Amino acid sequence: MTTLNPRPGAAAPGRGFGALAERHGRVLRLLGRRLVQIPVVLLVVSALTFWLIQVVPGDPGRATLGQYATDEQVRIWDEQNGLTGSLLSRYLHWLHGFVTGDWGTSFVFGQPNRELILDRLLNSALLGALAFVLLVPISVVLGSVQGYREGRRTDRSITIAAMSLSAVPAFVVGVILLLVFAVWLHLVPVQASALATGNIGQRLHAMIIPAVTLVVYYLAVVTRMVRTGVTGAITAQHHRTAVLKGLEPASIVRRHVLRNALIPTLSLLGIYLGALLSGEAVVEQLFNYPGLGALLVTAAEHKDVVLLCDGVVVTGVVALLALLLADIALIVSDPRIRFDNASS
Amino acid sequence: MGMSVLTSDENLPEPGALTPAAAAVQDVATASATPRRPRARALLRRPTFVISAVIVLWWILAAVLWKVVGLDPYSNTGKLLAAPSWSQPFGTDNLGRSVFARTLVGADRALLIGPLGAVMATILGGALGVIAGYFRGIVDTALMRVFDVLVVLPPIIFLIVLVTAFGSGTRALILCIGFVYAPGIARIIRAAVLAEMGKGYVASARLQRESRLRIMALELVPNVWPTMLVQITLSLASAILMTATLSFLGLGAQPPSADWGLQINANMIYLQQQWWTVLFPALAVASLVVSVQLIADNIKEVSRP
Repeated sequence: MTTLNPRPGAAAPGRGFGALAERHGRVLRLLGRRLVQIPVVLLVVSALTFWLIQVVPGDPGRATLGQYATDEQVRIWDEQNGLTGSLLSRYLHWLHGFVTGDWGTSFVFGQPNRELILDRLLNSALLGALAFVLLVPISVVLGSVQGYREGRRTDRSITIAAMSLSAVPAFVVGVILLLVFAVWLHLVPVQASALATGNIGQRLHAMIIPAVTLVVYYLAVVTRMVRTGVTGAITAQHHRTAVLKGLEPASIVRRHVLRNALIPTLSLLGIYLGALLSGEAVVEQLFNYPGLGALLVTAAEHKDVVLLCDGVVVTGVVALLALLLADIALIVSDPRIRFDNASS
Repeated sequence: MGMSVLTSDENLPEPGALTPAAAAVQDVATASATPRRPRARALLRRPTFVISAVIVLWWILAAVLWKVVGLDPYSNTGKLLAAPSWSQPFGTDNLGRSVFARTLVGADRALLIGPLGAVMATILGGALGVIAGYFRGIVDTALMRVFDVLVVLPPIIFLIVLVTAFGSGTRALILCIGFVYAPGIARIIRAAVLAEMGKGYVASARLQRESRLRIMALELVPNVWPTMLVQITLSLASAILMTATLSFLGLGAQPPSADWGLQINANMIYLQQQWWTVLFPALAVASLVVSVQLIADNIKEVSRP
């Protein structure tokens, strides 16, 4: 658990090499612990997913081969795809394949799952990264403005606008953006998929409306977090001291306000980064964007259980790595934060 | 405990659920102290609340009365993909069905699955939260670790897995929505119960040798009840949204249902020429979800001292 521990005995973390080494050590300790935790969590997630999905009443062998296949053919197909035997042996079969890089073949797409998933993941990550790059500065600016104008009309109107916007379902925001910018103004293509494989300019062009849709979806919560951080930071004693001793406003904002204010936002962004990078099913489906989220929806629709299971675990990996990244950023930016077992 | 973000007690909000839960818990502690009447009056003085309430009422009326009024969401009017006109205010879709009728009838499903899913989540999450908070120790740790694992996946992915497993019938959907939101609610209820556990009445109930079940059900639940109520209202908007989202993804309602998400999904191909087939159901979902969210926010703010 994150704790703010002043540790009176320890030397105050300064700025020189000593501080760097100290943080280095904390990052390494965190990495070491996560190296054990992440595989365990993934194991549980994969087992749970596998077990849940295998309860499916459908018959994938029959569904693939069609109604004219003989029972014998279906049985052989099931055997080839590791669908016979007990649940545990099937899980172990799948796990062994997943760990050794043999992720099976999708019967919907007729392609190796690994290729399919990693390909789509890259697309999703590009879109997610673009949305993230747009989201962070916009929400930091809006949240800071709100924090500085706390309780006034600017603050209230930004809150109401951002909250109403992000309560609107992402697919509705997307539909309206599409209507305005693609159908009526002809500024962007209606279908993102055609351009999603072109050169970088075409890709950006195709991704911009989906990315804006994602930004709208996440904006309110992140802005709210920044606002809370900023209001806390500017009422703090050290901020008053900095103002009173006549420091430059820009430097106060940068070093005294934002540095403190953004710490809670960092961990929130870690969660969202994982979701963004591993693919937002709704937005991808809406814009026909070939990402991992849309792939999982297709897999679920056609009960392609192995593809779905592989994809879910990959999503889990991305989410956990994003969390790890956020925690490392936390340690580097705030010397008080420790992730120790003793503290909980 | 290792994972800072995962195990922190304040439940980080999902987008859509706009309020940090910790704040909700604090609010509730004071909510029951305020007298009821002035609160209702304060609510009615808030324009966002009144407008939202009117919109929600409208959808409730639509959901309840569409059969009585004689709206027909399924039959062909004879004109395919006709633009909005006096006889067909929202136009018609590719099968000649009235978009106006379908949009109104769609409220039926949205108001059935979402709210029942939220109630389901609160019952399930509330029970687990009370158990974790009451027994503490190893039970608590075990439950919390399980929830940590469950929140690793983005909610929509979790929901996709659940729907694949349990199917997309009405009852299965309510159950799935309940499962997805239960862990978050359980954490909040657990925190509230932990705060209650230090109080005298729990100790005296124990000394009277009341059974554990009795203490949990008759002593603790009534005391964390306000928190549970707030959780229902807060998760309501997300639950309605999730239902529509699933249908939009093609994993929820199946044709010819008038579900809003499904209508948007089915008519996306007509967006360029026949935008009305998509726009009206989209506005319907948005108006309902935003209104429910605003009502929840207003109630929360009014309960604040």
